[in-house]
Amino acid sequence: MKKLLALLLALTMVLSLGACGNKTTTTEGDANTGDTSTGDTGDTGTGSEGGAESTGLKVAMICDSSISDGGWGMSCYNAMVAAAESNGWETAYSDSIAQSAYYDTIVSYCDLGYDLIYAPGNQYTDAVLQAAEEYPDIAFALLNGGTDTPEKATNGNVTSLLPDAQQVGWIAGALAGLMTESGTVAFIGGMELDTTLGKYEGFAEAAAYVGEQAGKTVSALDIVYSGDFSATDKGIEFAKAMINQGADVFFGDASAVDSGARQAIDEANAASGSVKIYDIAQPSDLLGQNECIIGSQVTDNTALVSLCMDAVANGTFGGEVIYGTLQNGVLSAGALSDLVPADVQDQYNAYLQEMQDGTFMQ
Amino acid sequence: MISEVLLSTVRMATPLIFLALAELYSQRAGLVHIGLEGLAAIGSLVGFLVSLITGSPMLGVVAGAAAGILTNMIFAYATITLCAEQIVYGMAINIFAPALAAFIYRVYFGAGSELVQVGLMSTLSQSLGIQSDNFIVQLFLDQTPMVYLAYILVIVTVIYFNRTKSGLNYKAVGEYPKAAATLGINVIGVKYVASILCGALAGMGGAYLTTCYANTYVDGNVAGRGFIALAAVIFGRWTGGGVLLACLFFGFCDALQIRLQVGSFGIPYQFFQMIPYVATIVVLALLGMKKAGPKGVGKAYLPEER
Repeated sequence: MKKLLALLLALTMVLSLGACGNKTTTTEGDANTGDTSTGDTGDTGTGSEGGAESTGLKVAMICDSSISDGGWGMSCYNAMVAAAESNGWETAYSDSIAQSAYYDTIVSYCDLGYDLIYAPGNQYTDAVLQAAEEYPDIAFALLNGGTDTPEKATNGNVTSLLPDAQQVGWIAGALAGLMTESGTVAFIGGMELDTTLGKYEGFAEAAAYVGEQAGKTVSALDIVYSGDFSATDKGIEFAKAMINQGADVFFGDASAVDSGARQAIDEANAASGSVKIYDIAQPSDLLGQNECIIGSQVTDNTALVSLCMDAVANGTFGGEVIYGTLQNGVLSAGALSDLVPADVQDQYNAYLQEMQDGTFMQ
Repeated sequence: MISEVLLSTVRMATPLIFLALAELYSQRAGLVHIGLEGLAAIGSLVGFLVSLITGSPMLGVVAGAAAGILTNMIFAYATITLCAEQIVYGMAINIFAPALAAFIYRVYFGAGSELVQVGLMSTLSQSLGIQSDNFIVQLFLDQTPMVYLAYILVIVTVIYFNRTKSGLNYKAVGEYPKAAATLGINVIGVKYVASILCGALAGMGGAYLTTCYANTYVDGNVAGRGFIALAAVIFGRWTGGGVLLACLFFGFCDALQIRLQVGSFGIPYQFFQMIPYVATIVVLALLGMKKAGPKGVGKAYLPEER
């Protein structure tokens, strides 16, 4: 009897998880979600979009951070939903998934008949390439994928969406170089990815260059890594340590870790009684989310995902690198805070124009 | 620099202390609980939500503790009344509770929502209106009430287990429950009390993360602390004082690696990230592996069994 009860209890727990999932809602014009929670594979949800006439095509996104992280995960998810709405696609997602579950989650969506797998991060490269080899008829879009990743896919069904990491760094670095008073700027990374390093290098060189033009010496602290995109506490601790090292403008590439850093910066500003330490957000315009945010580097991921959807619908998908730059409008700077003086805003806009013209740091 | 590391150590060790005490109370009653991660996750979410809705972080902590107790009653009923395998149900809690927390968050706030932030619990220095850069003031006064509570609970635990009859009876249940039963101790009752204490403390540890530490809730924010706490109990030889030292040690190592990464002067960051793990191996090697835990831990108690 007791064994039976134990079995029933275990079944109840399992079924309660199942009951949470596969709840598909179809209200029009909204990002509708249901959730399936499965421990190390994070949460999944599905939605049917109502902006354009339904094409019957489906896209699924996997993400190791939360889609409610107020940063990378949220922006990438919202980009997919916006692109799906305008193209008449259905969406699904799995977020907060462990590294060990990347491949299994992708394969699950492949088995469910999804037409496009959207993996927003360089860290998914190996899992995407493995799945792409096994599912030649499914399209894989790898945001921040390498330039050589598509040619590694033997079936030609992988496309890298590659926002120019150096330009991303420049957009933030130029503002940091103009706004720093201490001459020390800081960057917090999540994992040691090529794109993260590219952003850091662009950020550091632009801050130094712009600072030099303004007659001051600006240097970036060494890049640090939280090792985990969900570790808000690490963001707090890193930011506190970097503030003590004199950093007064921050930029990051670490999802929820960036939110932790902003909390620590806001606390430091509150303690000093004025906002003297700043943060630059990415990859969407997050001005107003925290007091310390003075501007954002914006990546139009919606446009990149839309290009992939068009290619899938037209049967032309695969084997290419789609670059995102200031020149083609995928990269831009978000709105600036009132904390940035008008003359500095003018200088910043001039530098942005130079970046677009290809004359920045020439 | 050392003052920064020590302040950071206190912040990082506090949730570990709550979780490790939860495990200590559970194991001292013979219940090995590897589901702390799950209990903390649900405590973290419920604490966050209640703090957001009521505007009171303290109520959030209370609600987090209640959520921890409720969730742990599944474990308690299965392992105490039904005599099910404790490791299996601990793992089930680890899978079930974080998933439930993520589900509730998504239902409440919606997918792809803006970042939701709550006000954190005030520190003692904020309540007293004291603002100082002095290290001693920051260390002793610039802490939330939860930090003081954690250390008070350690002292209470040490006294309870070593200086009270009730504490000795409690430990007897974890050592040899049948002998304890012959002395008139209500073994099943003590195990349920242990589960309530474990759930409450683990829930509070989770709630600390979202009411005192970070002002946001993110899936996975417990980040392995449940397992570190489990190690801290073994590391601390199943004693209140030992557990405290182990938690401070783990907190210190993590704080040190973060501080050393900043301004590493070209030294690969991986070198610093491995500090907590290397330190653990070294200390374990120095202390030896002598088994000191309760002898009845992990074993089901069947009163009718001969």
